[in-house]
Amino acid sequence: MLAFLGSAGVIAALIGSILLVVRGIRRAQGGEADIRTPGKLVLAGAVISMVAMQVALLTDDFSLAYVANHHSSATPFPFDVATAWAALEGSIILWGLVLAVFTWVVVRQASDRLGSAAVAVMAGVGVFFFGLMVTVANPFEVCVDALATGCAASSAWPFTAADVPANGPGPNPLLQNHFLMAVHPPVLYIGYVGLTVPFAYAIGALALGVPGPEWLRRSHRSTLVAWSFLTLGITLGGWWAYEVLSWGGYWAWDPVENASLMPWLAATAFIHSGLVQQRRGMLQAWNFVLVISAFALTILGTFLTRSGTINSVHSFTQSAIGPALLGFLVLVLVGSFTLFAMRSHLVASSPRIETFVSREGTFLVNNLLLTVYAFVVLIGTTYPLLLEAFTGTQVGVGEPFFNRLAVPLSFMLLLTMGFGPVTPWRGAAPGLLWRRLRWPTIVALASGVVVALTVTRVAWVILAIVLGVFVVAAIGRLLLEFAGARKAKSGLSLYREARTVIGNDQSFWAGQLSHIGVVLVAIGIAFAANLPLHTEVELAPGESVEFAGYTLTYDAPFRREEPNRVVQGVRVEVSREDRIITVLEPRANFYDTEMGGIITPAVMSRPSGDLYLTLRNLDAETVQLGLDTSPMIWLLWLGGVTTAAGGFWSLAMRRRDRVVEEPLVLADV
Amino acid sequence: MTGRVLRWAGLAVVGVTVVLAVVLASRFGSDPGLVDSPLIGRPAPEFTLAGLDGSEGASLSDLRGDIVVVNFFASWCLECRDEHDDLVAASESFADQDVTFVQVAYQEAAAESLSYLAEAGASSTTRYLADPGSRTAIAYGVFGIPETFFIDPEGTVVGKIIGEADALILGATIDSIRNGEQPGQQITGDTQQRPDA
Amino acid sequence: MSERTRNIASVAVIAVMAVALLLLTSTQPATSDRVEQIGTRLKCPVCQGESIANSPSQMAEDMMDLVSERVSSGVPDDQIIDELLSSYTGAVLLDPPASGNTLVLWVAPVVALGVGIAVILWWRRHPGQKADEATSPGKSRTRLVIGGVVLVLAFAGIVVVAANSLQDRPAAAAGAADIDEQDLSEVSDETMEAVIAANAEDPQVNGMRLALAERYFDGGDYRSAFPHYLVVAEDPNATGAEAITALVRLGWMAYDGNGEVETATRLIDEALAIDPGSSVARYVRARVLWCGAGETDQAIETFEELLADPELAAETRTQIEEDLEMANDGGECP
Repeated sequence: MLAFLGSAGVIAALIGSILLVVRGIRRAQGGEADIRTPGKLVLAGAVISMVAMQVALLTDDFSLAYVANHHSSATPFPFDVATAWAALEGSIILWGLVLAVFTWVVVRQASDRLGSAAVAVMAGVGVFFFGLMVTVANPFEVCVDALATGCAASSAWPFTAADVPANGPGPNPLLQNHFLMAVHPPVLYIGYVGLTVPFAYAIGALALGVPGPEWLRRSHRSTLVAWSFLTLGITLGGWWAYEVLSWGGYWAWDPVENASLMPWLAATAFIHSGLVQQRRGMLQAWNFVLVISAFALTILGTFLTRSGTINSVHSFTQSAIGPALLGFLVLVLVGSFTLFAMRSHLVASSPRIETFVSREGTFLVNNLLLTVYAFVVLIGTTYPLLLEAFTGTQVGVGEPFFNRLAVPLSFMLLLTMGFGPVTPWRGAAPGLLWRRLRWPTIVALASGVVVALTVTRVAWVILAIVLGVFVVAAIGRLLLEFAGARKAKSGLSLYREARTVIGNDQSFWAGQLSHIGVVLVAIGIAFAANLPLHTEVELAPGESVEFAGYTLTYDAPFRREEPNRVVQGVRVEVSREDRIITVLEPRANFYDTEMGGIITPAVMSRPSGDLYLTLRNLDAETVQLGLDTSPMIWLLWLGGVTTAAGGFWSLAMRRRDRVVEEPLVLADV
Repeated sequence: MTGRVLRWAGLAVVGVTVVLAVVLASRFGSDPGLVDSPLIGRPAPEFTLAGLDGSEGASLSDLRGDIVVVNFFASWCLECRDEHDDLVAASESFADQDVTFVQVAYQEAAAESLSYLAEAGASSTTRYLADPGSRTAIAYGVFGIPETFFIDPEGTVVGKIIGEADALILGATIDSIRNGEQPGQQITGDTQQRPDA
Repeated sequence: MSERTRNIASVAVIAVMAVALLLLTSTQPATSDRVEQIGTRLKCPVCQGESIANSPSQMAEDMMDLVSERVSSGVPDDQIIDELLSSYTGAVLLDPPASGNTLVLWVAPVVALGVGIAVILWWRRHPGQKADEATSPGKSRTRLVIGGVVLVLAFAGIVVVAANSLQDRPAAAAGAADIDEQDLSEVSDETMEAVIAANAEDPQVNGMRLALAERYFDGGDYRSAFPHYLVVAEDPNATGAEAITALVRLGWMAYDGNGEVETATRLIDEALAIDPGSSVARYVRARVLWCGAGETDQAIETFEELLADPELAAETRTQIEEDLEMANDGGECP
């Protein structure tokens, strides 16, 4: 029953998408066609398929091969809900659902030819993904050959007589270890899929031959939604890695992580250069290139994550999904750039940039840095795969390579973040920048000196602090400057005028909030990467050790039975000056399907950072523990959320006319 | 940018994409396998290891003159269990042909390996050795198990099997070494890591 | 204070602090532990891309111990890395070396930055003419057609190549091979013994047993051949043909090796019980009786019957004709 329902939903969505493509094209050519009905069909189909899968999971319906292979009746809520996107076929349902929602949004907005063309492109992407679900990645196959747990063979015909296994192995234990796993994929997918919208409008604009800022304007909100969720998703991913993987790492330059970073970098560049086009009409061609690349990178990301290429380059051809995704990627790139090439004469012209010392100039620098950054991550991630595919040689490209390039690029981006917002459009009057940045520079360097004298001498940390304070101080001073100018005329309090300034140009100040978020992330990373403490100890019960200013005492081992796992660990008392602060339980979780346990660290969070205990070995006499500190790590999470918050704020403000008057240039007081 | 420049740039991107895609697609079919281990053709790293049960083990230099087959295994490795009978059979079949089989426990406590061997049946002609600190495994560049190395009577590594070996491939490799050939690296399947690694 | 003074003062303050920072800070990491540093450059072979310094796995720990030992013995960094490189391939490095295969990784980012700057500068000079080079409908259509052609060709090329290459996917790499599909001519006796021993439970191995036993038999090594023939003869899963071959050989060896005519005939009779028409069995039986029991007439009779069969194999026919001649002549068995 559920197999039929789910399959019907997918097929309905596929049919709806095909109709949308056809009718969208007809409308884009000037004809009439009803796109709302197919749009609703797509949405309904996608919703039904997700609901069907969820019901199957929640009711332990093992007649579905996907449920049989990835779910277990012992899996607790909410992990059984999350099992829907724990593996490839299920995660495409999620992708399809998010895509259907975004498509519906575009359908509703489609009042003219451009909108209709965008609908056609969105639906075209939908045809691919729903098509995948109907052919090679069918999540609703019925199990026809049951094993003790799981399913050995399945059939796509929903009315097949099912051979129902008694239970399933449950999701990969790593995915059951932390509730974040339930949340992280949907957030990330909204980010990925959301980038389809600006792409669709861009292609629509190119196809119809209507350059100009219209397509940017229409897709701007979706771009912001996508970017904000992508930022949040990456932050959550880092947090999950930190909490679950037992070495305090939040980022490992792992191919899957890089797959999410690359579209984010491209999308960030796109948001900035999009502003340039809306303001000054420049960078049209570049914006097309960026948005096509951002979308292509999301497909590349899905390909890298889901095709098995990472484990072995050749395992990916064992199912048809890898080649299908790769083929779609090639289709997108070749089709989009051919279209771009053929319409290039329409996007070629642009006003001249007068000087690089202008907002446009700083955005150019920002785009250059972000693009090089994305390029570096791209080649670092794909080169080993390509090399192995061609020659069989395996090379390792890991942290040292990426850090070597990412760190200087990041510092340069921080610097640009300080200059950009204070530099006016078209060009800065002589001396303006110096006036606006003089105090921020002094304050920043002073902070650096203070930190160098009190906390640490490590150059990277000081540099991050100096640049970070520079950015924040520049923003603060700018706000004061504008508020002060208004106060001089109105006599109201500085605070009130500041609020008015912000209220008058919320999108700008929301962007500044995001910049502050990035600063926090940078400082957090600088501390956590350069100043952690680490040691390994072996303790007998009752023994203590001093570490990072705390006294850690091994109390006793324990063993707990839970519905889906057995937990074995130790209790460790953490105290300072004879006062017990907390008890930590570093442990290992044993799930049925694993022969070994998943090591889960115990974390104590303080303002100065985290104390981190990892179980290494436990026997009758002693326990071996890894002790780590992650200084100021909370800055990372706060920063990530703040960065995303800027994006959400920008979305939340009421739509208003965005023509903002240039504030007066202050004469010196 | 002039329209023409942009057009050529766009077409260039298309061209590069197509070339990459075609070349990549042409590689789907073939599996070049992995580049040979750097040990092949070079003198085998020396080792002197104690037996699993604490008895006197073996050192590679003592075995000079024999073809030495060095297999890394552990009880938690499924393919190792599958190839166990074949290793035993080959070891005994070639025992009086100047071929010595050596099996080194990998990433496992000696007690566990011993009880596994007791259950699976050890061969009387094979030396079972312990490798504390994984020094030998590191010296041989073991990425996962099962991996089996073949050392000729002069002490040069001439062959390596990555993945499960069966009696046929073991014997055929030994035969070709007896013929003076260097079989090189063969990949038969996947290797495994310790599950809680 | 005038603007100028303020500016000079600011610059001075900034300069002083900048110098102070340069002096105060150091780029040495807080924990300049050589072992840790080397560890971050090496990948743990059993983990998903973690460095041995960061990975909690046992193997990573063992490798760190090795690094630690080498560092304490005063071995320089590069030599330690080379030592590990000589055992593992380059896959053990997390930091690609600036040479050979991976040189491009070092060069490409610099080139990209350079290209980016060049493009920006070029764009500044050539922002492009106004879009009033009103493209005539003809030109516009031409462009679209060209675009379409490019697209079609590109896809055709890719699809053709992909389809071709996907079809030639080779069979799974050599390894656990199917027993009955092997070319056994190159394989040594010991290898066959090993394969047979390893697959003793598998009925398909009987073919190999017989092949090996035939080798021994042809070489006159009845002793080694005997156990294999015995297993096949006694195996309830053996095919009729296999059993017959085994029994007949056993019978011949019983006679030829031990002179036991009765045992021999008994064994061959068992073979004949499976297939009374078996020419091999009848032939050998006849020979045994002729050579062992001196029953020449019976032998000649059997020989003639066999020769009468038009489907007799050529070799066997020749052999029987020779024997017949000899039996007719003198009666003595060669």
